[in-house]
Amino acid sequence: MTRAAAAQRRRLVALGACLAVAVGTPLAWSATRPPAAVGEGLAAGLAAGLAAPAAAPPATPLGTSGPQAEGQEPARTLPRLSARPADPASVAARVPAVDPPVEVSVPALGVSAPVDAMGVDADGAMGLPDDVRRTSWYRHGAVPGTGGGTSVIAGHVASAAGRGVLGDLPDLDRGDEVVVRTAAGELLRYRVTTREAVVKEALPVADLFAREGPERLVLVTCGGPYLRELGAHRDNVVVVAEPA
Amino acid sequence: MTTTTTTTALGLVAAGALVALSAAPATAAGSGTATVSVLHAVPGTPVDVYANGEILLDDFEPGTLTDPQQLPAGDYDLAVYPADTESIEGVDPVVSADGVSVPAGANITVAAHLTESGDPTLTPYVNDVSAVPAGEGRLTVRHTAAAPAVDVLADGAVVVSDLSNPDGASLETAAGTVSAAVNLAGTGTTVIGPTDLTVAEGASTIVYAWGSAEADDLDLAVQTISGLGSDPAGVPSGLADGSTGLPVSLGVLSVLAAGGAVAVAVTMVRRRES
Repeated sequence: MTRAAAAQRRRLVALGACLAVAVGTPLAWSATRPPAAVGEGLAAGLAAGLAAPAAAPPATPLGTSGPQAEGQEPARTLPRLSARPADPASVAARVPAVDPPVEVSVPALGVSAPVDAMGVDADGAMGLPDDVRRTSWYRHGAVPGTGGGTSVIAGHVASAAGRGVLGDLPDLDRGDEVVVRTAAGELLRYRVTTREAVVKEALPVADLFAREGPERLVLVTCGGPYLRELGAHRDNVVVVAEPA
Repeated sequence: MTTTTTTTALGLVAAGALVALSAAPATAAGSGTATVSVLHAVPGTPVDVYANGEILLDDFEPGTLTDPQQLPAGDYDLAVYPADTESIEGVDPVVSADGVSVPAGANITVAAHLTESGDPTLTPYVNDVSAVPAGEGRLTVRHTAAAPAVDVLADGAVVVSDLSNPDGASLETAAGTVSAAVNLAGTGTTVIGPTDLTVAEGASTIVYAWGSAEADDLDLAVQTISGLGSDPAGVPSGLADGSTGLPVSLGVLSVLAAGGAVAVAVTMVRRRES
């Protein structure tokens, strides 16, 4: 009886241990996951420090503009205009040259990837390279290192070929460094301010692709559950970084 | 009777107000502002441009365009004189246009150019500044040359056909560089180009064919109005399931432990029964 009771107790302990491992393993794993978001939220990250949009230059108030000419000429009511050559070559020469990003590195994730300058796809969405080891920069938007606007670099989270180079963006934390190398060889350093997963339909594209305002670098990939019926992830993972 | 009188009086007041309005300076008639650019597309002659009797542009060279300028909305009397005209008093302008309407909020380009028959004229064009889809630009062509109707070609294909002075036509196309040429309408006779033209994304690129076919000085002038872009619809950055679930090794461990727990429990139940 005593021996049987002891055996039963041992089995009870074994049962407890097995249950602890069975339940504890996934719980402990999920508890050690990075938080779903860092920073003060995407809206704040993209808007923080956002200067009021530059107002259009005010029309010259009637009768107040222009110096009162010496002599009899009355005060001007209209500004004087100045002109520039409009031939195609002169106009093209005035368009500022762009030094595009060619590589993005995230030391905290140990990743570095080539950046392709891309526009929009057939659906009017941002173009992305098929190769998950490459990323794209939205070439119609802001240019990194020019001091203004939000430049967007995106990469696939994964493909049939494997996990994407930006697949671990959810592990990034506030303060982590992002480095962009430009075609001219300049190294631009940024610090992560916010990271957030956003349901794709709610992606704030106007803020994300802002061509004006303070300089921001945004890294985007996909996240959240994979919706097999749509063949797409539910969310975009958006990391906002400011010049370091 | 009283009613009628009142009505008449109100009518008189209204009429008075109308008179007052029309007597007010032309530039004060509108409340907002408009964006105005001026293009000089008459070959050969630098000019001075006056608006409401006031000089707006001094020594304005052919083939040049002003930067867009905010001007009070209203009606303008425009007149063009030979450059360095000391006083416009009693001098006949080269060309003039009275009561050119510049409505609030509008974006207007006033072009001084030649008619098809070669006389100087002023044409106020209203520019389409509505948004263009992401990745695209608006290309507008305007015939401001002393030349017959033309076809406009982009990369060898006719994109606008039979365009006559002073008409214009617009299309939206993928941003990029196109090789542009102007042919006499319905012929293979190229009178301008081909010239590389950039259709800027999120912008309106307006191309003026100007000059004179007879004088063999036809050319292109380009105006760009930016800030008309749209944002991409989204970022489709998932080609396949990349969701980060429980790593396989930990999952296996958990399942094995659960199996172990079941085995132990079964043993315990059996022992109790026996």
